[in-house]
Amino acid sequence: MSYLMDNTEGTQYLLMGNEAIARGALEAGVRIASGYPGTPSSDIIESLAEIGKDMNIYVEWSTNEKVAMEVAAAGSFSGLRSLCVMKQNGVNVASDFLFHLAGSGTRAGMVLVPCDDPGALSSATEGESRFFARLVEIPLLEPGDFQEAKDITKWAFELSEEIRNLVMLRSVTRMSHASGNVKFGKLPRDGAHAGFHCDGFILDPMEGPMMSTPVGYKHAQQQEKMKKAREIFEDCPFNTYDGPEKPEFLIITSSACNLYSREAISILGVEDRVGLLKLATTWPLPPKLLKGYLSKTDKILIVEEVLPFLEENVKILVAEMAPEIGIKTFYGKNDGVIPMVGELNPDLVVGALAQILGIDYKAIPDGYMNKAEGAGISETPSRELTFCPGCPHRASFWSIHNALQLDGRKGFVCGDIGCYSLAMLPCGFSTLKTLHAMGSGGGIASGFGKLGQFGFDQPVLAVCGDSTFFHAEIPALINAAHHNSDFTLVVLDNSGTAMTGFQPHPGLKVDALGDDVTSVDIAEICRAMGARVEIRDPFDLEETQKTLNQLIQDKGGLKVLILRQICALSPEKKARKKYEMTIDEEKCLGENCGCNKVCTRIFRCPGLVWDKDKNVTKIDDVLCTGCGVCADICPAGAIERKEAA
Amino acid sequence: MKIFGPNELLEDVFQKDLCIGCGACTYLCPYFRSYKGKTAMLFPCNLAEGRCWAYCPKVDVDLDELAKRFFGRPYDDDPLGFHRVVKISKAGRQAASGTFQAGGTVSALMSFALNKGYISAAVLTDREGLLPVPRLALNTADVLRCSCSKYTASPTLSAFNQAIKEGYKRIGVVATPCQILAIAQMQSNPMGDEDFIDPVGLSVGLFCTWGLDFRAFEAFISERMDVEKITKVDIPPPPAEIMEVYTDNGKREIPLDEIRKLVPNACSYCIDMTAEFSDISVGVLEGRPDMNTIVVRTERGENIVDEAQKEGFLILDDIPKENLEHLIWAAGNKKKKAFMKAKQEALLSTTEQGERYYLRVRPETVEEIIA
Repeated sequence: MSYLMDNTEGTQYLLMGNEAIARGALEAGVRIASGYPGTPSSDIIESLAEIGKDMNIYVEWSTNEKVAMEVAAAGSFSGLRSLCVMKQNGVNVASDFLFHLAGSGTRAGMVLVPCDDPGALSSATEGESRFFARLVEIPLLEPGDFQEAKDITKWAFELSEEIRNLVMLRSVTRMSHASGNVKFGKLPRDGAHAGFHCDGFILDPMEGPMMSTPVGYKHAQQQEKMKKAREIFEDCPFNTYDGPEKPEFLIITSSACNLYSREAISILGVEDRVGLLKLATTWPLPPKLLKGYLSKTDKILIVEEVLPFLEENVKILVAEMAPEIGIKTFYGKNDGVIPMVGELNPDLVVGALAQILGIDYKAIPDGYMNKAEGAGISETPSRELTFCPGCPHRASFWSIHNALQLDGRKGFVCGDIGCYSLAMLPCGFSTLKTLHAMGSGGGIASGFGKLGQFGFDQPVLAVCGDSTFFHAEIPALINAAHHNSDFTLVVLDNSGTAMTGFQPHPGLKVDALGDDVTSVDIAEICRAMGARVEIRDPFDLEETQKTLNQLIQDKGGLKVLILRQICALSPEKKARKKYEMTIDEEKCLGENCGCNKVCTRIFRCPGLVWDKDKNVTKIDDVLCTGCGVCADICPAGAIERKEAA
Repeated sequence: MKIFGPNELLEDVFQKDLCIGCGACTYLCPYFRSYKGKTAMLFPCNLAEGRCWAYCPKVDVDLDELAKRFFGRPYDDDPLGFHRVVKISKAGRQAASGTFQAGGTVSALMSFALNKGYISAAVLTDREGLLPVPRLALNTADVLRCSCSKYTASPTLSAFNQAIKEGYKRIGVVATPCQILAIAQMQSNPMGDEDFIDPVGLSVGLFCTWGLDFRAFEAFISERMDVEKITKVDIPPPPAEIMEVYTDNGKREIPLDEIRKLVPNACSYCIDMTAEFSDISVGVLEGRPDMNTIVVRTERGENIVDEAQKEGFLILDDIPKENLEHLIWAAGNKKKKAFMKAKQEALLSTTEQGERYYLRVRPETVEEIIA
């Protein structure tokens, strides 16, 4: 039994922030949970999927974030508390429905949890979701520690029901993926029954149809809801203050920055000088509460990550209150005390605080970085971003690169988000030349493929993963098929949403809850669009490259090559080698003319290591996954494979 | 002579649009490959010295050294290169019959050399549609499949390099002058390998005034007919001035002026019409579509031709005076034009080490040729 199902009130567990959010949803009696995988958000749905059957919760990995939110909304409309989870980019995908849903309102509590990724540790943009709350006029909550991650999640459902609208609970990487002690509350009894009441009066929020029209009425009603939320926030127990009654200086912060700020105050020992106002309700801001604290001091530092959301909203309030509270001096992002890009950490906050308070403190002593770098260079091997040993993408991009080089017309690849985004770098032979949102490779390629009339003669390829294919590639492909755009899509089908941890997608026969489900065939979808479709194993380099060259030459509009090979890290494959690889040192040409270390200099699978003492390549048996591909790139036949026992 | 590497090859040949796609640099390593008539470098290689550069017939070809090695004297102004005899020839009764460009001399020689074991395999050029495809022929049937001129620049030497890799010795090869020049450089062991063995069992050169860029030719033809249905391509000797393209539906004639536009830049620098570093060179004979012109250069070539004649594989005859004169004029004309162009562009050198040129040859020889 998962510890998340422990019903002993008051018991404590060390939980990851994402688990705390899942537990909060359980304590709120969530019945529907949907999402699309994306770091740092994925563990929430995974935790719930694991216990979904035991707890009578319907959990799904949806095709994309917009669909996930629609699925969750159906739960809310039917009287079931529902949770929808995604990473920050997912909110962009869901935003069209998000606007409509915020206008139509919800019934049973519905909470949207976006997990933002300041510093873009596992993202392609640093975009953040908080602005959506203001844009679509829904309340925004931000837990400031792990206990709050659970408690505020539970409270978010109540708030949603109080105002009959969606509530956003925003987490960040260091909240989602760090861990802390969490004291459990009670789990409610299951009394779920679903039914959609829709025959009532058109404006009846509980019995009428669910829609964002008539807009004038609904929009005004939505603003009433926000007013109500603001009133509730004035007394929200999760907005806390620590520090002297009359602080010399006030920090206003939220989310993980709460933890950094506390640490900074403690490191500098300025507990008697600095007050810390940690806000859990960051939109709409509660004006009375803020007025109370802003009146206590004239200097304010806002600590938050990425854009100055809190900073600007507080400044608006201060401007409005200026006749009563006077003029304040602000420190934060706009004056550069806090960086506008990247993650924060305690050092950065200590630095900002020390600077403002005139304390001589250096978070990082002079010369430390040089010393650290020096030590690094002498002691550690240089490591660069690369595909895993045995990754099918390395083989796929090897063939794509070679096919384009042979073709010789300066062809290129348009891509999107996935492990294969690394093909921008030498590990993917720098083959990828555009990298944008999920599915954008196909869309951009569809555009390039129509430029022939302007003299454009470069071959165009696009790549997407199998999960991405379902998520956002299909409309782009239909566009290309309909307009007879000339390009080749390569679907890098590694049988799962591999980058985020092998979550199932519509192409698989199993769903989030482990049930047998209908799998949707990528090849058949493409054929139905009229595309020429080929399926190959990317580990067969010769056949893959040959097929690619044929497809690139084929002027017949949309072509699709599905390169099917399971991810090297997949649970099915992990630690099972197909081949035992060995090196015949006599045959290895090494740095000589005829090879010049093609395996360790160009192919660069981490399982291949250059032995500079012997001037030959050797196999790192620990890293090698036995895919056998390197045997085919060795020009001397020195890399040998034999079927593993 | 100082040897350079792939970076210099890119600079001297690829970037100057001098690559003819002969295939000499391909399959020696993982980096150079041929595809649809073009040679591509797949990945960068930073070696200071490489066979790719050493074998390339378009960079630093030391004509004097090669001539000394093969014929015991420096390069001179003979338009046909060093030769023992020029004759006319055709396949004899003992040779298998097939579809030939002219007299079937090349197919007969290769079959004979294979049958007699003088060569273990023959590197030839087959055709798929219009695409020239290098092949390794092991018997007469294989040889006959590869008969007839392809007219497009072909990476024939990729099959030669692969044959060496697969362990073939005494390899026969039928090649255009540029390819023969590359092979001559391979035969000279430019990298100084200690265990070097000359891989060539018999080299037969083909007369060539120019080849066509395959991709341009394919595009040109496919605008006019179905490339897949082409059975034979021929350029009858002057004064016809046409290319004949045969399909199942008959013959189509294309004026040569249109075709000449498809000749790659590299051909305009070529000094060699008759493949001067082969054992034997073969071409057509004006006015006699059933016969070839044959130039015998080496002792090995001479022995094989004599033996083939004795055993009925080859029929030889004296070349008419006017044919020989015209051949000399045509070959001399090509050589002169190319040397003048190369000289004008400062691509000729003699002694400087470290500098890189197209050709190395004594200045007095150049003056004699140009005069």
